[in-house]
Amino acid sequence: MSTSRPGPGTPRAYHFPRAFEHRTANGIRIIAVPMPQRPLAAVQLLLPGGASSESAANSGSTAMLARLLTEGGAQHNAEELVEATELLGASLAAEAGWEGVVIGASVPATRIAGVLELIAEIALGPSVPEREVERGKALRLASIEQAQASPRARASEALIASIYRDDAAYGRPIAGTRESVAAITRERLMQRHHELLEAAQPILVLAGEFDPTEIFARVAASALAALPGGGAGVARASADMPAAPGAPGGPALLILDRPGSVQSELRVGRLGRSRLDPQFHAALVHAEIVGGLFGSRLNRVLREEKGYTYGAAAGFDFRRGRGPFTMRTAVETSVTVSALLEARRQVESPLHEPVTQSELDDARNYLRGTFPLRFGAAAPVSATVAGLSVIGLNVEELDRYRDAVTAVDAAAVTQVALDLSREAERIVVVGDAAQIAEPLRAEGFAVTVKPAIPA
Amino acid sequence: MATRQLLAPLPIHEKRLANGLRIITVVDRTAPVAAVNIWYHVGSKDERPGRTGFAHLFEHLMFQGSENVSKAEHLSLVESIGGNANATTWLDRTNYFATVPAEWVDLILWMEADRLATLLSGLDQVNLDNQRDVVKNEKRSSYDNQPYGTAYLEIFALAYPVGHPYHHPTIGSMEDLDAASLEDVRNFFSTWYAPNNAVLTIVGDIDEAEIYASVEKYFGGIPASPTLPAHPDLTLAQPLGGEVRKTVMDKVPDPRLHLAFRAPVLADPDLEAVGIATQILASGRGSRLYRRLVRDEQLAQDVELSLLPFVGGASLIVGGATLRPGADQDRLERTFIEELERLASEGPTVVEMQRVAALVESSELAERTDLEEIADGIGMYATLLNDPERINRDLELALAVTAEQVQRAAALFAAENRVVLWYLPVEGA
Repeated sequence: MSTSRPGPGTPRAYHFPRAFEHRTANGIRIIAVPMPQRPLAAVQLLLPGGASSESAANSGSTAMLARLLTEGGAQHNAEELVEATELLGASLAAEAGWEGVVIGASVPATRIAGVLELIAEIALGPSVPEREVERGKALRLASIEQAQASPRARASEALIASIYRDDAAYGRPIAGTRESVAAITRERLMQRHHELLEAAQPILVLAGEFDPTEIFARVAASALAALPGGGAGVARASADMPAAPGAPGGPALLILDRPGSVQSELRVGRLGRSRLDPQFHAALVHAEIVGGLFGSRLNRVLREEKGYTYGAAAGFDFRRGRGPFTMRTAVETSVTVSALLEARRQVESPLHEPVTQSELDDARNYLRGTFPLRFGAAAPVSATVAGLSVIGLNVEELDRYRDAVTAVDAAAVTQVALDLSREAERIVVVGDAAQIAEPLRAEGFAVTVKPAIPA
Repeated sequence: MATRQLLAPLPIHEKRLANGLRIITVVDRTAPVAAVNIWYHVGSKDERPGRTGFAHLFEHLMFQGSENVSKAEHLSLVESIGGNANATTWLDRTNYFATVPAEWVDLILWMEADRLATLLSGLDQVNLDNQRDVVKNEKRSSYDNQPYGTAYLEIFALAYPVGHPYHHPTIGSMEDLDAASLEDVRNFFSTWYAPNNAVLTIVGDIDEAEIYASVEKYFGGIPASPTLPAHPDLTLAQPLGGEVRKTVMDKVPDPRLHLAFRAPVLADPDLEAVGIATQILASGRGSRLYRRLVRDEQLAQDVELSLLPFVGGASLIVGGATLRPGADQDRLERTFIEELERLASEGPTVVEMQRVAALVESSELAERTDLEEIADGIGMYATLLNDPERINRDLELALAVTAEQVQRAAALFAAENRVVLWYLPVEGA
């Protein structure tokens, strides 16, 4: 056994796979990313216009529409669609994001043409059967109940709701609330579909083992070519997702009472940053140091020093507008107060104890080194390209990622921490109020107690 | 089928050190990364009475430092070179894995060797107590404080008799975790953690000759264990012999049905058809159970059925469905079981067999792009079946399953081989 640590061998170059762009005659934007030796290809059709533009009353209608797209189109009913997809060895799914609806498929590259027809069918003319609307609503309402019973999901949802002002879509679950889901009608969903097509800005992203020129020709020859393109786009939500006003007095803390809980789910959050923020890469490094890495300040102290928890994490959720910054952990009930104080201290620590050179090096190396690990398969490549495209960033953003991370210095990280500290702090605890409410009040928190599961 | 030729066999090479360590390599240059994976043939089945949960607690201590790696440094060191690492413990084994930029493979090999050679020098009561607390919190957050979180623990206890090595949960009990001592750690380490009880697999952008030289340099001096014990007898003396039922009242929002069935062991050629049967029944929205329970009759919010392969006694098929609010509980159970029994009486259709074949092919293609999965699959087959090349026959074996074999396999869903567990909401939850 050798006692001296081996250093690195010769580093190998890595480049994000090259993307080829093309616009069809009627303005559909296609981005093709050839990946040799990736016979399982990924296809994503993105229709801009997501949940961020929903009003409170319509919350969840985009997600419901996305769910119903795979219930069939003009040629196939739901079961026939599943059968046709699976016989291609493909999987087909549709999902609503904050900025758009994505119809995505994974399929052997040799069978892409078949899957393009199915995607076109449900994008252009989904059948949205009345019976499936009712079934979709009932399942969503049941899943809202399930989430309320899960301490993890309940805590996260309540925290997010507390960060944003009532009119900000980001404060609501993307799949809607009990009230808004109950109010969904087939007419409303068809209207939503009409708006997506009318915006006429589809983006088609493909990745896998193929020749891009051949792919462009295949798309032009497919039913997808009939998708309206070159449009003006949907009215976008303001990039500013306004925060709820801060409360005067001690830090406000909401306990969602779950009698008999053996753990307290702790959440601390603030308004975070946009993906378009020029300080994006600095915020990534900041989040790794504070609560991302296994050796982050948060996890090192709460788990490895104190044994309070199985794990503690914190970070930004980057979106077009300002997504949330959240700290998440679950701790044994008896250490709730100490763990919460410690977690808040660690999240704010870069203000008082600037990040060290070795913390900075570790975080930057981690982000740089794991970047290629994320893009081994076609699916994450196409999903990432699609996600950037819909918010107006292009693939060059991925090429410059590693250099941009390298350029982040300690001062930039401190600035991120400082900006964060200026946003109002929100705290949610799901746990046994009888055991934790008084000790938290005694620490100076302005505690409100509500039942975890509303009557 | 068209995609079959796309799956060229993985070029698997193998060597064995004098101390018994098996080294298996696959060169894959699609990205400048490498996956390093070690399987130790020890799991929760090897725990002694009064020490349940110990194999997993021990796995945590493997990250707490050794002679040349300080406490909790292991994972930070991997992160600092731009990699990821983790480990898991299961009934039959414990695996440790890291994926890193290819130029750093040597460091990972060295770290694995350091903890195998010198773990006990990093061990102290403070580390043991700290990780005991971490594991107890893992049990709380993953099982005790989650709705339906304890169902898996109940299922194993019902499917395997008291005293059988698969009866108790891998996460263990709070009492047994409390009882674990430094002496237990030392004994467990010296009993099971030896090069002749390990398989080391490296997959990625590597030079095989360099890898073998490094492994020899770092692991070559670690002595084999001359006294590696036999694993406990996993033979099940008797079949379940009837439907085993239990109802658990818990803080859950809706009633949930859990089912389990004993199945052939990993080495049994019949297991392949069992896997295909579970896919026909519950894989995706085209499956029989999803169509009938979730879509057509709207009895359930969700449905699942999957196969957990084990090496001895019996593997387990586990399934479940959450009742749709307002639907009838008895009808859900009856209909679920009716679908299972219908596969045994009528067998799958031609289209169902085609659908599953296409899905199996795609999932094989997906696994082939994931170095970690390749390394882990090879480690599993080498450790549990002594056949690392088996990964290259997976697709062929799955595609060779006939409709008749699937129908025969479905006989195991019969009442005398069935565990039925209901979770019901307590009042006021």
